[in-house]
Amino acid sequence: MSTQSVTITVDGTPIEVNPDRMLLPELLDKGFSIPHFCYQESLGSDGNCRMCMVEIAGKKRPQISCDTPIVAGMEVRTRGESIEKVRRDILELELINHPVDCPICDQAGECSLQDYYMEYGLYQGKVDKKEKHHFDKHIDLGANVLHDQERCVLCQRCVRFCRDVTHTDELCVAGRGDHSYITTIPGETLHNAYAMNVTDLCPVGALTSKDFRFQQRVWFLATSPSVCHGCAKGCAIDIDHAKSKYHDDTIYRFRPRKNPEINGEFICDAGRLSYKETQTYLLRTCLAKEEILADAEALDRMKAILTEDEYPIVVLADANLYTEELAALQAFARTFHAQLYAPLEAYHDPAFGDDWLKSSQRAANAEGVKRLGIATEMPTLNDNTLVINVNHPDGHRTANRIDLLTHRPDENTERVPARLTLPIAPWVRSSGHLINEDGIEQYCEQVLRRNDPTPTLLERLAHFLDKGDDTILDNMETAL
Amino acid sequence: MIKDIRIVSRRFNLPQSHTLEVARQHGAYRSIETLTERTPEGIIAAVEASGLRGKGGGGAPTGAKWRLMEGEFDGRPKYVVVNADESEPGTFKDGHILSKDPHLLIEGILLTCYALGAHDAYIYIRGEYYERQQILQHAIDEAYEAGILGQSIMGHDYRVDLTVHRGAGAYICGEKSALLESMEGKRGHPRLKPHQKEPEWYFGNPTLINNVETIATVPFIVTEGADAYRQYGTERSPGTLLFALSGHVNRPGVYEAPFGTSLMEYIEHYGGGIRNGGTLKAVIPGGASTPVLTADEAAQARLDYESMQGLGSALGTGGMIVMDESVDMVEALKNLMAFYHHESCGQCTPCREGTGWVDAILARILAREGNRDDLKKLLDISETMNGKTVCVFAPAASSVIDAMVQKFETEFLRYLDTGGAA
Repeated sequence: MSTQSVTITVDGTPIEVNPDRMLLPELLDKGFSIPHFCYQESLGSDGNCRMCMVEIAGKKRPQISCDTPIVAGMEVRTRGESIEKVRRDILELELINHPVDCPICDQAGECSLQDYYMEYGLYQGKVDKKEKHHFDKHIDLGANVLHDQERCVLCQRCVRFCRDVTHTDELCVAGRGDHSYITTIPGETLHNAYAMNVTDLCPVGALTSKDFRFQQRVWFLATSPSVCHGCAKGCAIDIDHAKSKYHDDTIYRFRPRKNPEINGEFICDAGRLSYKETQTYLLRTCLAKEEILADAEALDRMKAILTEDEYPIVVLADANLYTEELAALQAFARTFHAQLYAPLEAYHDPAFGDDWLKSSQRAANAEGVKRLGIATEMPTLNDNTLVINVNHPDGHRTANRIDLLTHRPDENTERVPARLTLPIAPWVRSSGHLINEDGIEQYCEQVLRRNDPTPTLLERLAHFLDKGDDTILDNMETAL
Repeated sequence: MIKDIRIVSRRFNLPQSHTLEVARQHGAYRSIETLTERTPEGIIAAVEASGLRGKGGGGAPTGAKWRLMEGEFDGRPKYVVVNADESEPGTFKDGHILSKDPHLLIEGILLTCYALGAHDAYIYIRGEYYERQQILQHAIDEAYEAGILGQSIMGHDYRVDLTVHRGAGAYICGEKSALLESMEGKRGHPRLKPHQKEPEWYFGNPTLINNVETIATVPFIVTEGADAYRQYGTERSPGTLLFALSGHVNRPGVYEAPFGTSLMEYIEHYGGGIRNGGTLKAVIPGGASTPVLTADEAAQARLDYESMQGLGSALGTGGMIVMDESVDMVEALKNLMAFYHHESCGQCTPCREGTGWVDAILARILAREGNRDDLKKLLDISETMNGKTVCVFAPAASSVIDAMVQKFETEFLRYLDTGGAA
């Protein structure tokens, strides 16, 4: 691979480009706006939509830029009357059998077809409504993906995703000509663990997520970059959330965020749907055994137990905690002469793992735990030990304990009530670093504006730590 | 006066010409018996010198195409594929070779394989050609039994295996790259054109695809020499072509003629003139995908690539559709567009949506619900379909629309102005 860049002229401006790539990806990277449906960064070119046409000096006809090799000195025109007419005409053909039902379409607001019409189309439609073909709508392909054949532009991104990326080949094009449609292979349903990525890949409203459908208009959504906590892979995600008046700030979906080092442009369906866990069954009140306590009262009681009881103290930390939170727990453990453990065995889930984006280590910060030198085995516990259980899945075995929990305890599991239970905010309401299983560190912003007063773990611990204890940060920096 | 020349069709009229026995009595496989006298390079050079042009419609020089197969390609196997997916309306010449003289085709395949260093050949035959496929398979079985195909062809130290692959009824699979996709077990969508000259690829291996008649011409060139072939036809279109004649003539059929023959003389001599003594209205000269010629243009036309190009049409496959005065050109275009609409593979947007839209507009015009804007609309859509797709299906349809609408505008206007919406 040569790294020597070459100069080409685009719309009269000379630019430096990489000759090893095709024209379209280079131009898109350089900020040129060229409409395209079938080309997609991870899936490459297919050459079927014919939208990305540009004019090249010396070529009689417009060329599809997704399949045009770069030649030094070439002159490319992406603007101008003739090429814009070509674009408009092809766009018109994309739309002749389209139902143009944007007002009731979930894709509206993030639809390529809509954007391109506003940017390049704006023509007066010539098609007679009676001439439109009608197709099936609301087809359940499986895996939470719904298909509206009328809205489809047949770019085949979904087909190529299942063929080239997941190698599961559930989707295909059936029929011919303008009666072509996307469907599943006979007898199959869409059933791979990454299937919902096709709803992101689909440039139009043909494939939508059953989960997100009709929940929220996309222009009301705010997007925060974050990291999925579903497993130790740490896929980069965007969290789409909205706060409507009088309501809590609510997460509507997770979408993959591009990170070539980790997940490319995709995430697994389990991770995508894990947003629900961050806002349902949350614990909001302090409890003593089963009696509700005020927050201040609970803190006082916790202090009393920690300082007055003679029991040796063991802290069990959730390996999904941010590195900062783990470091604060280390400081906490030092202050109270406690032993800190983050037992990892509980997070091991071989049934979940695969050879791509799903790791059988389900703890998001297992690597952070190891780097901070926190013990990862399960200590032997009995009721002569005071357990401070910080959201650990196996932390509820003994009665002599204080729970710091994000979620209400599952009523279906056999569980001894804790002496004291305090709520802490789930990860989306807090911020910090995670280190994934490959040692890549990522920062998660606090996503949600706080709807309820549930303090974060750091805020809880602040009541117990000497404010001047800089060793928390020092310890973290040396460990990382 | 036309003199009959028979290069490919020389055994067509023999009784039982499709059997090995009759074919061999009349000269089949002579070139294979004497294969040791020839070198692969000699065969390629002869084909190149003969100026043989591909007879499947494009007319590309065969020799140059064969040269692309030269080289080692990292030791990958080379394949020869014969395109027998003859589905173009008006074209039925390859079917004649398959049913009348399959051994000529097999002989051509053996020579081609030997010349190019290929050991496996495939015939991709149109699914609807069921009986022809039976005849062809019978001939192949006979050839295997006689040791003509197989481990050592006619005793020579060279293996050639030949397999027939039936298509499933898609016109587009006659496009060479779609044909290979189909043979690979995929949906028959044409591939993107390569950026430099290279052979076709079958499962990633270098592959030659030629039309049935092209391959069937090779034995003559090899045995008689390039000059013998060049004595027929014109300078740039040497040799002969099996022209298929259909429509309003007295004797429709397949007749071989040298390139350069006058179109009208051909229709008179072989077709016996226009049916019922009628007058000629138009000719589609080379299969449905070639622009129509008016009677005046047909009078000037000669059956070669250059003359047809000069008239704004194309020689295509040489399958002529002759139309007399009884033909309604709007209906004729509707008929053609119904075909294109049905057969567009649906890969590229302009073709997928354009062919259907044109078909719908024509249906409206025929129902006398059209208006004058429709003609402009047809030409607009046709322009968008031209030159903006992966393969030449849409450009062909586009040229058909343009020629019909422009040359027979008055007939369209008659539909639009009588009883139609304003």
